[in-house]
Amino acid sequence: MSFIRDGVDDVRRVARGWRWGRRQLVPRSAEQFVPAATPSVFETAWSRTRAGRAAREVAQKAALEPVFRSQVRSRVEGLDALTGLDGPVIFVANHASHLDTPLILLSLPHQWRRRTAVAAAADYFFDTWWRAVSASVVFNAVPIDRRGGSLASTPGELLDDGWSLVIFPEGTRTHDGWVGRFQSGAAYLAVRHGVPVVPIAHRGTFVAMPRGQGWPGRGRRHLTIRFGDPLRPSAEDTARTFAPRIRDAVAALLDEDSSTWWEARRRRATGTTPDPAGPQVAPWRRVWEQTEPVPPAGRRNAWE
Amino acid sequence: MSKAKGRPGFVLEVDDRTPPLLVHEGEGFRLENFPLGTRVVYPPESLPTVPDVDAAISEALLHPVDADPLPAQLRPGMKLTIAFDDVSLPLPPMRSPDIRSRIIEAVLQMAADAGVDDVVLIAANALHRRMTDAELKHIVGERVFRSFHPYGLLYNHDAEDPDNLAHIGVTDRGEDVEINRRAAESDLLVYVNVNLVAMDGGHKSVPIGLASYKSLRHHHNAKTMTASHSFMDHTKSHLHHAAWRMGRLLKDHLNVFQIETTLDNEVFGAPYNFLQKREWEWTLRDQASVLAARRGLAVAPNRLRHKMFHDLRSTYGLTGVNAGEVEAVHERTIAMVHRQQLVELDGQSDVLVMGLPFLGPYNVNSTMNPILATCMGLGYYFNSYRGMPVVRRGGAVIIYHPLQEKFNQLHHPSYVDFYEEILTESTDPAVIEAKYEKQFATDPWYIHLYRTSHAYHGVHPFYMWYWAAHAMDHVGDVIWVGANRRVAARLGFRAASTLQDALEMASSTVGPSPSITYLRNPPHLIADVR
Repeated sequence: MSFIRDGVDDVRRVARGWRWGRRQLVPRSAEQFVPAATPSVFETAWSRTRAGRAAREVAQKAALEPVFRSQVRSRVEGLDALTGLDGPVIFVANHASHLDTPLILLSLPHQWRRRTAVAAAADYFFDTWWRAVSASVVFNAVPIDRRGGSLASTPGELLDDGWSLVIFPEGTRTHDGWVGRFQSGAAYLAVRHGVPVVPIAHRGTFVAMPRGQGWPGRGRRHLTIRFGDPLRPSAEDTARTFAPRIRDAVAALLDEDSSTWWEARRRRATGTTPDPAGPQVAPWRRVWEQTEPVPPAGRRNAWE
Repeated sequence: MSKAKGRPGFVLEVDDRTPPLLVHEGEGFRLENFPLGTRVVYPPESLPTVPDVDAAISEALLHPVDADPLPAQLRPGMKLTIAFDDVSLPLPPMRSPDIRSRIIEAVLQMAADAGVDDVVLIAANALHRRMTDAELKHIVGERVFRSFHPYGLLYNHDAEDPDNLAHIGVTDRGEDVEINRRAAESDLLVYVNVNLVAMDGGHKSVPIGLASYKSLRHHHNAKTMTASHSFMDHTKSHLHHAAWRMGRLLKDHLNVFQIETTLDNEVFGAPYNFLQKREWEWTLRDQASVLAARRGLAVAPNRLRHKMFHDLRSTYGLTGVNAGEVEAVHERTIAMVHRQQLVELDGQSDVLVMGLPFLGPYNVNSTMNPILATCMGLGYYFNSYRGMPVVRRGGAVIIYHPLQEKFNQLHHPSYVDFYEEILTESTDPAVIEAKYEKQFATDPWYIHLYRTSHAYHGVHPFYMWYWAAHAMDHVGDVIWVGANRRVAARLGFRAASTLQDALEMASSTVGPSPSITYLRNPPHLIADVR
């Protein structure tokens, strides 16, 4: 009996110490001695074949969507922005949580969703084979190298092939709920390939499942997602000039989501749209403000 | 095949992200949760190995340091002796071919080309046990063994054969220098060493490896050992100072061509390489191996567990080979050993934690009895420092080892009597030396077993106890985790079941929240304490 008991103890100790099911951590004092991971080239073209698309349809509709809906509630606004668009676009959104990707994908109309890929960090989502395969099957993720480097298929090639892309220009999830600095990759792709950018703002995912949390909190939190009018780079635009316009559009959408369309338009016209980076106050106050639950839309039921 | 350059050693500070750390404890290991803030000293990873071993050996022999090329020193009619380190190096024994065999073959090829007929090979085992034929064959290789052993030209040094010992002289401190007669009377003595740790090599090779008890007693004693700070730094070790004096005297009488080799830190090969990986970098496979190994060891009978460990062969690679004049060669050797093993450490701590593996120099293919465990922990591991000891004076040492009352009667007969008769009287190295050493050293039965069987010399357990003398003098408390309480008490120490209990027991010496340093070796390391 002690053999079994000790064996169970050992398994528990290893499972806890090496964080089975979660990402392994490196002791802080050892971080500088961990070699940078060599970007591995993970080929994802197979996930966009007919069989890959069929598998994704099943995974998203039969598994992802029911689980997602069972854990959170979402409200989608502004999908009419997609009307009249027929080519590939770049969806650009703020990034607060691992819920962002399913929220965006499951909010898209069917014909858009099945032709949309998600740019995902190669060092995070493609570091192990099983994570890479599941990200490719469920989300149609394609690896991008946050540190720069060459990968198997570039996002540009996907745009040329008619696939739309979801890009989070912040490059990583926010630490305090506020919007971080936008990198210019999405703007560069839009200018280079002449595709419109559809800005997206969402709220509530930071409250529902922030960094460090592996599952949404209890109570079916409310999420909102708002699509904005497409932005088209002009002939004179460069990535440097186009990127601020994208960020301004996301900021205006966030403003609109927390107030009204009319108020947000007026503030935008006068250049007084609130900075999505938030006020420069104590960190706890920034987190405090962002963790305020998103009020539900429509009529509240008797028990809320 | 040259290996990738390894990362340097470093000091980990245990935090909330640190997984349990592996701690050796004899023929087993455990996963230990250390208190937050514990410093853990990790050895450097392996340095790049030489790309072509045979070419490196050839280069060393043809272009030696401060000496003529070996072929120029070989001539027909000369008397050539090749001495080599015994089975106590390296640890664990090296996977075939042993590096010594490749060097000896190269030397013999040159001797054959020069027409040298009178060649003898001697294992420099001093007062260690005679090696078996199989062990000799493993070290020198099949070809050398077949060519020399059947003709009595390959043998173990006998430190108790008066006819085959030569008294060379006395140093300016009155130390007798007496070594193997064949070696002493040779025109050229080639010594082939494996410099596993900084303590080895230099003048410790010939004046100690080929010496007699009469010569060894001058430095293998409690006073010298207590004053050696530490054995791993030959410039601060009184033991080495004596060896250097002897070596310089020998130099006037004997032409020694020293060949020293340095190894990387590949102590454990697959599938046991998880034993030397940094724990937070263990893959799922490593974690599964650890779980399987622990369960397997838990159910394995003692004999099988012993076999599992002692059949392990190291996968060391050669990082350097130097030949020529002893001191000039050793300077280069030590520089390479330091590159491979030195880790900087800021300041001493209140508690030093060490996990003893299954193997030390004196229990290859044998049992690590309590006296050898003491030597391994308080002798070798405690002394793995440069500058200051890792633990402060009056601090506590916590060692993991089962300390079982098991002795190998073939290899360690005098250890049994030392344990049963001497340690019951006293555990003070100086008292033991003064009252009992001579009796054991001159006992005819022990001498007979040493010369004809495979027994360590009668005085050897005393030497093991002296190795620990510096630590016993320095620290205030020694606690063994997982040890047999009766055995620990016999040795003059205390035993605890867990690290928490050990720290609780040590709190009377070092207070309730002491600073702790854990030496995560093997692989080998030297803490460079600033």
